[in-house]
Amino acid sequence: MSERLVINPVTRISGFLEIDATVEDNIVTDTHTKGLLFRGFEKMLTGRSPFDAVYFTQRICGICSSAHAMASTMALEDAMDIEVSDQGKYLRDIIHGCEYLQNHIRHFYQYTLPDYVAMPQNNTLFIAKQTDLRLPKIKNDLLVQHYFDSLDISRSAHEMLAVLGGKAPHNHGVFIGGITTQATKEKISRLFSLLHNITEFIDSKMVPDTQTVAQYYQDYFEMGKGYGNFLSYGCFNNYSQLGTLYLNPFIYHDGIKQVLDPERITENIATSWYTDQTETYAPNETIAEPDIAKSQAYSWVKAPRYNGLPYESGPLARMWLSGEYRHGISAMDRTIARVLEAKKIAAIIKVLLSNLIPGTDVQQVYSVPSTAFGKGLIDTTRGALGHWLKIENQLISFYQIIAPTTWNLSTRTEDNLPGPGEKALIGTQITDPSNPVELGRIIRSFDPCISCATHIYQSGNLINSIQIVS
Amino acid sequence: MKKQINSCPNQTEKLKLVSMLANKAIMAIKNGTIKKRNLVWLELTGCSGNIISLLDAANPGFKNLATQMVNIIFDNSLMVAEGQAAMEKLFAITADDYILVVEGAIASKDNGLYNIIGQFNGQPITAYRAINELGPKASYVIAMGACASDGGISAGRPNPSGSLSVQSILNRKVIKLPGCPCHPDWLTGTLSYILLYGQPELDNKDRPTMFYSTLIHDVCPRRPYFDQGIFAEKLGDKSCMFKIGCRGPVTPVDCPVRKWNQHVNWPIGDDSPCIGCAQFGFPDRMEPFISYNTTREV
Repeated sequence: MSERLVINPVTRISGFLEIDATVEDNIVTDTHTKGLLFRGFEKMLTGRSPFDAVYFTQRICGICSSAHAMASTMALEDAMDIEVSDQGKYLRDIIHGCEYLQNHIRHFYQYTLPDYVAMPQNNTLFIAKQTDLRLPKIKNDLLVQHYFDSLDISRSAHEMLAVLGGKAPHNHGVFIGGITTQATKEKISRLFSLLHNITEFIDSKMVPDTQTVAQYYQDYFEMGKGYGNFLSYGCFNNYSQLGTLYLNPFIYHDGIKQVLDPERITENIATSWYTDQTETYAPNETIAEPDIAKSQAYSWVKAPRYNGLPYESGPLARMWLSGEYRHGISAMDRTIARVLEAKKIAAIIKVLLSNLIPGTDVQQVYSVPSTAFGKGLIDTTRGALGHWLKIENQLISFYQIIAPTTWNLSTRTEDNLPGPGEKALIGTQITDPSNPVELGRIIRSFDPCISCATHIYQSGNLINSIQIVS
Repeated sequence: MKKQINSCPNQTEKLKLVSMLANKAIMAIKNGTIKKRNLVWLELTGCSGNIISLLDAANPGFKNLATQMVNIIFDNSLMVAEGQAAMEKLFAITADDYILVVEGAIASKDNGLYNIIGQFNGQPITAYRAINELGPKASYVIAMGACASDGGISAGRPNPSGSLSVQSILNRKVIKLPGCPCHPDWLTGTLSYILLYGQPELDNKDRPTMFYSTLIHDVCPRRPYFDQGIFAEKLGDKSCMFKIGCRGPVTPVDCPVRKWNQHVNWPIGDDSPCIGCAQFGFPDRMEPFISYNTTREV
């Protein structure tokens, strides 16, 4: 018997997502992930001052705004032919690292944990028919306590970010050349102190809490695998003095790791609500126009491909490519890799802080070329983020964004291969179709950010004949 | 210069106000003199930045807010329920008393289909429909952030989604807390005041005067540089940011005193210009954010 399960909204993610799954004999046989918000940043950016892209594109996403600050800044530096000093790189990478910490801590405690832990039902925020809860009461209570304790820690990650970035979310610090301000001795010392507390929390609570969840949900090491194709643009890398502290751009396919070639990246709109002269294009070629009447289309997320194939991006991809985590590929491995990555990022920030020269001013007066092209590719919290921009008459004439969640929750091309998130859901055994807790657990392991994935200009329409089967 | 600003009691007392109000509200709820009210957090056409900003709140922190001050009935970012069960909670509350906090604008093109916030009984619920159903019945409506208050970035030219502010949809009083994002104190202070006394004093644009009364420019620690004509020529300079684009002279909000993220820094303190994110008209009327053409006239 075939049933259709629809979850909308998928809560505890960033933005608006629907999972639409077909289930036969309690096995997911097909699924579509659908992003349901559009604002049209690429259209909005056209005609604006290139300098304003840094603060403007941050507003794509409130949870990962620094990621867009990084990519837009790097695209501008590429377009303007600006070499960034090591000190400039350290400073902005510290800001970026703080954003990783804020995200990973909040994703684990506020977004992921309620999938596995019985949350106090005397609070309206947590009231839900939770099923398949396995933790013994004493461990469950401890993790609930840490849910609340973690709020102070993720907050102090943003506090660190603001020490160098002015404020968070939507910082003012990251800019061409590095950051706007200088790191004084007082600021550096404050950052060390805050980082110490965060590191201690990760080591003493977050890592053990992850082990607790993993211990009682061993079956999730066998669920949500996906393709096992990994892609990263690299991050915390290419310092002239320190070399690479984390990862250079790589891909992983069929058990082979190779250097990433950005020329092999394409985007496809076969099943997204757009039309263009071609369904497949290079990122710098065209911005597809919306087409709500398009048949076969089901989402506002497009389909990025590398060598024509879907790729997963994010903490597991990075930890896998860097060789630091090779336990397995699954929903649980994704969660563990994210937590272990938080520990790694904290260690990297410590190295960067130790290498800062107090008082270094990395800013200059910049001028915009009349015509230029630039790209900024960087791995951010959720994975590979790319900004491609063109400048004409000293104004932005073209702006393309491919976000990490566009990779992870991509739609399908003409070959009908599911996107990585869809692939991870297919084959899943659903214990209780009236409460398909497995779907949310698997999709949240990707840490979807639909605000980022559907930033693009498009128009919408009702999804056809959706039914909820309960 | 710094001492002079800090010595003004009108400014320093402001910093204590939010925690004083919140503690008073929490005590009153404990004592049973006022009730813990329901709160619906409706995220619409935006970036989730305001709920993230609220998680950065301190004194009161988010835990105080969610456990001691209000019953959060619905919030897509944090609630445990999902799908139909979540939407049932959202619509069931309309029969009861609740305060509505909205973040994000309302996409209006094509009957609002640019933003679907969930499915209820098989029907996609647009942001447009949600605000129309939940707005009129709420005891208070608070527009949190630039998009909800005035369209914000979501309505940036050419406004591809037809994004509108909450007020342009609802024919009722909407308290506005502009800012991109809204500072967590501006929300927790306003909310505490509502719980204790009802609607706070608002200016002619419905912004609480306890936060939005003084121009940044008037209390900016770099004001003496402006008065003496000493202007920054690039980011990173320590003087007045006016000529490279600062919107402090048109933005009435207490950033210079309150600062951000545990009062640790703020945009001008970061040697960058204020971009007017807490003023109506952001972003289009506040651009360019950064300009090296320093011919701007005083």
